[in-house]
Amino acid sequence: MTAACRESCCNVTPRRTVGELFERGFRRMRESPLPVEGETCADGDDNQARFSMDLRDGRIAALGFRASPCATLIAYCELICETAPGLSPDLAGAMTPRQLTDTLEGVPALKQDRAALAIAAFRAALSKVSQLHDH
Amino acid sequence: MKVAYIFATQRHNVSYVLAKMILPQLEQKRHGVDVVGMFFFEDNNYVLVKGNPIGERLHKVAKESGMLLMGCDQCCYEREIADKLFDGVPIGCFPDLYKALSGNMPDQVITL
Repeated sequence: MTAACRESCCNVTPRRTVGELFERGFRRMRESPLPVEGETCADGDDNQARFSMDLRDGRIAALGFRASPCATLIAYCELICETAPGLSPDLAGAMTPRQLTDTLEGVPALKQDRAALAIAAFRAALSKVSQLHDH
Repeated sequence: MKVAYIFATQRHNVSYVLAKMILPQLEQKRHGVDVVGMFFFEDNNYVLVKGNPIGERLHKVAKESGMLLMGCDQCCYEREIADKLFDGVPIGCFPDLYKALSGNMPDQVITL
């Protein structure tokens, strides 16, 4: 059995499908948290998510996260991690759940509420950045 | 007795065990037990895609009897069919399955 090509190799750009974002996100979750960690956020289904980030020159340099083992939630969190680096915290904070659901096709309507949790957790990490900056 | 089936292995499970044994028996109401749910892994999820002829019959039985049909979310995402399933058929993982069955718990869960 051969494994699917999951990184940018063979001149193939990684695709942003739910399945592939989930696989990359699952691996990202095994990495150590980055220096600035936000609070853990939860939803009514007991799913949780928590982001961490690294900033350089006032912009998001890298993102990490931990999330409950829900494929949809992990895919949305990974989408944020692949989208937000390079943005200023202010600009990144304007990201909305709707943008995630519009960007990521193939998620049934019943599962799209996971985007709200992903964004809430991301904003919690941005809030921590703001607090550190104020001090 | 109430049972739930988990279609975990592939080979002839859907085309033979489900389509030629379980489903006809359910349609004829002589399966012998109440089937309260079916959960599908891997390629077995293709039976839940709109237009699948076995799935059409299964969906009809499920609607009439209140039987739960659910696809494994990771399996469906990997195959890019999560948004192509029959109307009202959810995807999920074990917590979603147990939650969905909690109001009508099976006595036995049978893995095929």
